[in-house]
Amino acid sequence: MNPDRRQFLRLAGAGSAAVVLSAAPGSSWASQATNPGSARTRTYVLVIDGCRPDEITPGLTPRLAALRAEGTNFPAARSLPVMETIPNHVMMMTGVRPDRSGVPANSVFDPAEGAVRDMDRSTDLRFPTLLERLGTSGLTTASVLSKKYLYGIFGTRASYRWEPSPLLPLTGHAPDAATMDALLAIVSGPDPDFTFTNLGDVDRLGHSDLTGTTLQAARNTALADTDLQVGRFVDHLVGTGKWDSSVLMVLADHSMDWSLPSNVISIDLILQGRPDLQNSVTPAQNGGADLLYWTGPSDQKAAGLESVRSLVQSHPGVLSVHDPAELRLGVEAGDMVVFCRAGWRFSDPYVVSNPIPGNHGHPATEPIPFFISGGSPKVARGRTSSEPARTVDVAPTIGALYGLEAPRGGYDGVARTSGFVP
Amino acid sequence: MFAHGVASGDPYPDSVLLWTRVTPSAEATPGSGLGPAVTVNWEVATDPAFSRVVSKGSAKTGPERDHTVKVIAGRLEPGTPYWYRFSVGRAVSGAGRTRTAPATGAPVDHLRFGVVSCTNYQAGYFSSYRHLAERGDLDAVLHLGDYLYEYAPGEYQARDVVVRPHDPTVEMTTLAHYRRRHGQYKTDPDLQALHLAAPFIVTWDDHEAANDAWSGGAENHTEGAEGLWSERRAAANQAYAEWMPVRYEPGGPLFRRLDFGALASLSMLDLRSYRSQQAANGVDPAVDSPERTITGAAQMDWLLGNLTSGGPQWKLVGNPVMIAPVRIPSTLSLAEVAGVQKLMGGTTIDGVPYNVDQWDGYEADRSRVVRHLRDQGIKDTVFLTGDIHSGWACDLPADPLTYPTTGDSVAAELVCTSVTSDNLDDILNAPPRTSSLAVEAAIRTANPHVKYLDFDSHGYSVLDVTPAGVRMDWYVLADRTVQASAATLATSFTVGAGTGKAVPATGGVL
Repeated sequence: MNPDRRQFLRLAGAGSAAVVLSAAPGSSWASQATNPGSARTRTYVLVIDGCRPDEITPGLTPRLAALRAEGTNFPAARSLPVMETIPNHVMMMTGVRPDRSGVPANSVFDPAEGAVRDMDRSTDLRFPTLLERLGTSGLTTASVLSKKYLYGIFGTRASYRWEPSPLLPLTGHAPDAATMDALLAIVSGPDPDFTFTNLGDVDRLGHSDLTGTTLQAARNTALADTDLQVGRFVDHLVGTGKWDSSVLMVLADHSMDWSLPSNVISIDLILQGRPDLQNSVTPAQNGGADLLYWTGPSDQKAAGLESVRSLVQSHPGVLSVHDPAELRLGVEAGDMVVFCRAGWRFSDPYVVSNPIPGNHGHPATEPIPFFISGGSPKVARGRTSSEPARTVDVAPTIGALYGLEAPRGGYDGVARTSGFVP
Repeated sequence: MFAHGVASGDPYPDSVLLWTRVTPSAEATPGSGLGPAVTVNWEVATDPAFSRVVSKGSAKTGPERDHTVKVIAGRLEPGTPYWYRFSVGRAVSGAGRTRTAPATGAPVDHLRFGVVSCTNYQAGYFSSYRHLAERGDLDAVLHLGDYLYEYAPGEYQARDVVVRPHDPTVEMTTLAHYRRRHGQYKTDPDLQALHLAAPFIVTWDDHEAANDAWSGGAENHTEGAEGLWSERRAAANQAYAEWMPVRYEPGGPLFRRLDFGALASLSMLDLRSYRSQQAANGVDPAVDSPERTITGAAQMDWLLGNLTSGGPQWKLVGNPVMIAPVRIPSTLSLAEVAGVQKLMGGTTIDGVPYNVDQWDGYEADRSRVVRHLRDQGIKDTVFLTGDIHSGWACDLPADPLTYPTTGDSVAAELVCTSVTSDNLDDILNAPPRTSSLAVEAAIRTANPHVKYLDFDSHGYSVLDVTPAGVRMDWYVLADRTVQASAATLATSFTVGAGTGKAVPATGGVL
């Protein structure tokens, strides 16, 4: 879409700052009657970015814990490879794996540009998302995403979208208080049928928490603060009379693992003894996962990759090495995926290049919270399900709630309808 | 004809194993090798009156298999109660009740298991079996090992009292001994009642063959004087295969997995057949040698393959010996240390792993399991353990060094106490819940991941499994040496879904 043709609206936020939204031409800024009357269901997907399932407790996060207890919990839920933010948000909204969406990781090597870059462009995502598919069914949708790169990849797909602001330096994300201001403004204003929200503080403060392996001081502060924001949201829905028509789907995109400064894997260092390989392999770092791309002479590729695999596998911090196809990651993921063990991280080209203690991307960070709650009579209450819910299940689950047809080729995820009253 | 009762075991969604033993003639006593060949009929019905028989057949038996019968009753419906019985001519056995496992992948709201171990005939009565049988609500009974003991009368009993002497009156070392001892246990009325009431899922520990067994021998085996270990173990295994309701035949693996829909898998371990010899003591460098194993390589690969995401939610592990690390504090008296040492069957040295017969003595293998659970982010693994004649609820620390700060636990371990076998008050020759309390407190202080410890009581456990959590109730007997002993609920712990931690239970069943 030509950005010039977007509409903008400045809404009054809860604080002193205004909330600026954009919308597609012709969108109404008032509450829509597309899903009218008592049958209307408002659906909110809240992503607590990077949250571990065991971090939601009545003591630390009472509002989240209460929501989980009141609805249907899926304790066996997990993130999917690569356990990073962008691919898992894309899986949530498309319902398909990266080999169909084109988005396998946060960071990839782009052969056209000859460089490693973030997958933060709207054109990187090549599969229809729930945001526009619900829109074509006559429903309104919104995206309230705290991270700039998430705003980038989902672009203008939602009927209404908030561009994260203010962005904190270094982390490139808006604090949860600001994100929640935007969500509340959207609920009060255009009041869309479906809203996709990412709260980034828990992840961002987890990454930088130097006490992550022990006290997790900063992390716990973020969890308590985010819980307050979730409480604001619930209170707002109740206060505006929307709670009884609301379904909340709360999950994380991945969890978090902390490494010691000594537990660092450098692919560059591993290949130091083989300059031919070192010069032919480009890693795209994704926290606890590295995507390796063969950028050397093509006639040496097969043998070269075999040698790389053998050398990388022997590192004590490396958990496993995979063909991207095994993980359904698609061609964008390159030639090899390397996962680290719990308590380790990748850092290239030098061991000091990645100083961040908290990481994800590796299998240790697969378990996530995942529950369906809310005041709607459609929500199954006080249940726990053994089903192996995954991030890719969000789109089919929300789609089932609205009777939306599956996309062409079907979903890769499963509609977790056990969270709803039959 | 059916003097040893009937039993069922290893329920699958579409089949269950049925067992009995016939005595077609007076001389056909267990281990005798005498008596005629017999054809035994069996039938399975959906009602106790056998008005609707859904599966039936016949099997031949004779002295070559000690007149035991094992058949697989197939073509059954999943998650369904059934009744079964055997007949020879006009002789009809009692009707046993069994239950198939839920369908593969099906949602399951609730499972309930009885959990027992360490049933020494000489040390008391099997009141625990009777109390479990009377419940009538068990999907199955897990027996985690030491179903029978090898000792002669006077060698191992209730403190100094032989409540009921073993038969034969010698330590069992030959096939005839093992068969005869199995036969004696199977005459116990409480044991027969529990087999009649619910299917068993069993594994062995050491005493089914000999104390502290390993792949090449046992503490209680004298090579030469008691024959070759390989022959003795083969005899023990053959008798076990003949006399137990288990999908195991000599030469094959005993370790196996049973699934209960989407709710739980149960991996039953064999920690005796493949293990390296026990280390000399806790400071023996062998303790953490990667060359030594408690599972063997194939069983370890199989176990780690079962501990994965995507299958049944709860990964239950029938684990004959404790996996949680236990360090003995240096504050105990010599008598207390000696008591714990005797109870655990290991060599005790202050401040080091004290039981070289359990996973503490095979640190490399334990590290493989813990690392796997941590590296792969596997949730909801619970080890169900026997062996040590005491009740424990523990976390399995991801890293023992940081556990006191982080509380990070990769799994929980719930240990049932012995049905009859001696424990700490018996060894210290003190009244129950007196001398042991200080020892328990000291061990819990030195091992913050140990949440519950009862060194004195005898009894059984009941395990409830739901999607929200796993709960174990520990029931204790008033007196194991009294045939009509009552049992009372002592305590309950739960492991909430996704937590990997054992915490005191509050309220009713999950």
